[in-house]
Amino acid sequence: MNKHPNILFINTDQHTWDGISAYGNPYLHTPNIDLLHQNGTSFRKSYCTDPVCAAARSSWVTGLYTSETGVPFNGGQLHPDIPDIGQVLRSNGYRTFHCGKWHVPGRNVRDNFEVLYYGNRNIGAGGAAYYDSASTHAVADFLTNYNDKEPFYLQIGYIDPHDVCEYLHNHEEKHIPNPLEQGILTEDDLPPLPENFNYDERETVIHRVCRRIDGALIHDRILQAVKNWDELHWRYFRWNYYRFIEKVDAEIGRTLSLLRQTRFCENTVIIFSTDHGEASGSHQGFQKFALYEEEVHVPFIISCLGDGVPVQKEHLDEKYFVSGVDLFPTICDYAGIDIPETCQGMSLRPLAEGEDISWREYAYIESNYWGRSIVTDDYKYITEYKPNDIEDFIPPGPDSEQLGLVQLFDRHNDPFETVNLVDSTEHQEGINSCRNKLLEQESRLNRREIAHQNPMRTISNWGNRLREYWKHGK
Amino acid sequence: MKNESKPLHWSFDHNYGAQKIDFEQSLLKALNAYQSNIHNNGSNAETKQNEKRVYQILPNTWRGYGGRNDPLSIGKVVIERKSNKNNVWNYNVKYQNTTSGEDIEFTFCCLDEYYLPLHNSWKVDIRNTSSDRYSKLSVNGYLTSETAIQLSINDTEFKAGTVTDSLPLTCNWTLLDVIPQIAKNRKALDSKHTIAILEDLEYLRPKCHLGFLDSIKYPIPLDGYFLYGNGLLPSYWWIDSNDQVVVVSAVFETLVLQELSGNTS
Repeated sequence: MNKHPNILFINTDQHTWDGISAYGNPYLHTPNIDLLHQNGTSFRKSYCTDPVCAAARSSWVTGLYTSETGVPFNGGQLHPDIPDIGQVLRSNGYRTFHCGKWHVPGRNVRDNFEVLYYGNRNIGAGGAAYYDSASTHAVADFLTNYNDKEPFYLQIGYIDPHDVCEYLHNHEEKHIPNPLEQGILTEDDLPPLPENFNYDERETVIHRVCRRIDGALIHDRILQAVKNWDELHWRYFRWNYYRFIEKVDAEIGRTLSLLRQTRFCENTVIIFSTDHGEASGSHQGFQKFALYEEEVHVPFIISCLGDGVPVQKEHLDEKYFVSGVDLFPTICDYAGIDIPETCQGMSLRPLAEGEDISWREYAYIESNYWGRSIVTDDYKYITEYKPNDIEDFIPPGPDSEQLGLVQLFDRHNDPFETVNLVDSTEHQEGINSCRNKLLEQESRLNRREIAHQNPMRTISNWGNRLREYWKHGK
Repeated sequence: MKNESKPLHWSFDHNYGAQKIDFEQSLLKALNAYQSNIHNNGSNAETKQNEKRVYQILPNTWRGYGGRNDPLSIGKVVIERKSNKNNVWNYNVKYQNTTSGEDIEFTFCCLDEYYLPLHNSWKVDIRNTSSDRYSKLSVNGYLTSETAIQLSINDTEFKAGTVTDSLPLTCNWTLLDVIPQIAKNRKALDSKHTIAILEDLEYLRPKCHLGFLDSIKYPIPLDGYFLYGNGLLPSYWWIDSNDQVVVVSAVFETLVLQELSGNTS
């Protein structure tokens, strides 16, 4: 048996923390992800680094925050000199394999991975219906044939429940009756509206411009469509989202069933996570991009179906703040590789093994280049940087003078983030404390100029719209 | 909104913004070919002993999933079935998808009963035409009892689920024959049918619901049925006056019947 374990990183896409039946959601059934939880440690306070695919994934593969990677939104490009996890593992004795979705623009997945399956047209953002079962076939072929001495690192990028985006696109230019009018379901079949369907409209400018106003920067056509939805449409959206999750759970089940029958079962550590969450009607939102809990709070499980890798079983850790930047150092740790000093994350391996160690006191999250959030035990703090008058293309921060509007939520009394406490005198100390944490965290970042033309264009265009809104309120 | 004068039903109207090539025209083209085909060859609703159907696969969203200059279709499904006169139907289904890159052949048989339940063993042979490491795979399956499903891949056997509540177990490809059978019984329209489906002969969807959706006149007179279940997004199945499923629309792709042939001997 190898000194170091095989490492299997299974990821789903757009899968909010709450979308797992083992965590108590009664509106869906995920027996296979539940199995990972039963055989491992789940982290309750787990956050993505940025609630959009490419950005969050750039953190996964580098251990850096998105203002460092060059991918602060989907159109970014990974800085070419930053090593990715495939490169690091390959030069340290692992064979590295990739299957399914990659979505780290600026880095060819074939550079540092042997690719099992990447679709006939190279998988982009979505398309689970075409690609997920093919990915499982490729993994089945791999698991039943791999015969080399070197340990393997295999990352499987499942796309679902991201296909819920296509469900939403379907509503763009046509009226689809609600499920009762369709005659498909009854009200009893549908999950209820989320408790935070109604929301406090005192939101950041970046969020309004990207997601709320007419002509919103991101998916305005869907925004216009959902304005015509009734309550049942929203509940049916949630119902569909849960079916997409069940679909990908079945793919994971197939992979785990096969793994269990192979010699790799004992000595393979399985890491399960997702790039970002899904609003699914919370705050009357859809998809991702926002810093609300449903969009940034993601599952993170370290598991082993055998006994060859020590890990606390059926353990829900509620103490430690975990981030997407922790994936890279965790993999390095299991592979016996020194964690690079530049890495922002920390290895979760000691936590999975039950050690009590010194750890960060908050999660730091970025969004849409200018958006920022700090999550502490007491507060969720959401803020933004105002765009510079002349854009320098260096992701903003730390600069207290340039901060814009603030949303503050009491995580004890208002876990669904419905009342913005920004004007509450009682909570000014909380605001100050979170702001200081934000500035402190950002002082440790190596924020680098975006030099690629495409993301520069996006920053310019979005910056213009933001300046316009700050100036004229529209 | 497009198509306001002659709108396609919402369940298969995929002419929205992300669609580069006219979906409706592509759908009508395939349907017209089918109608010419039955006009020339006869349509009779009598059950045939040998049947062959060809469906075009149209992506509901073209952008990113279709070829750059191709027609909208991203592949086809060829379904052949033959009766062996022992109350068993032998099916052979070839599914080619140029976007996924997978060419899949499903070989299975079903009892000639109301829900065409899966019978004996089955096989799925897959070829991946994209250029990566995975090139082919065979999945063999069988029922270990009336309810327990066992699969085998490269001699590695594993359990793939158990059918519960004594539900009939059928396959999604067989539904092309099951749904018209249900549709003949008008009383059946009043209530949902609950069945277990082994999707693509690999994934057990243990409790699926089938029911009547709507009747429409355009593009041709059709009766629609819906199907959904645990882990199964709603799909919509439309039957014409010849008892053929001519349109099947799911979240990402729509199958349109283009060709039908067969004989009764």
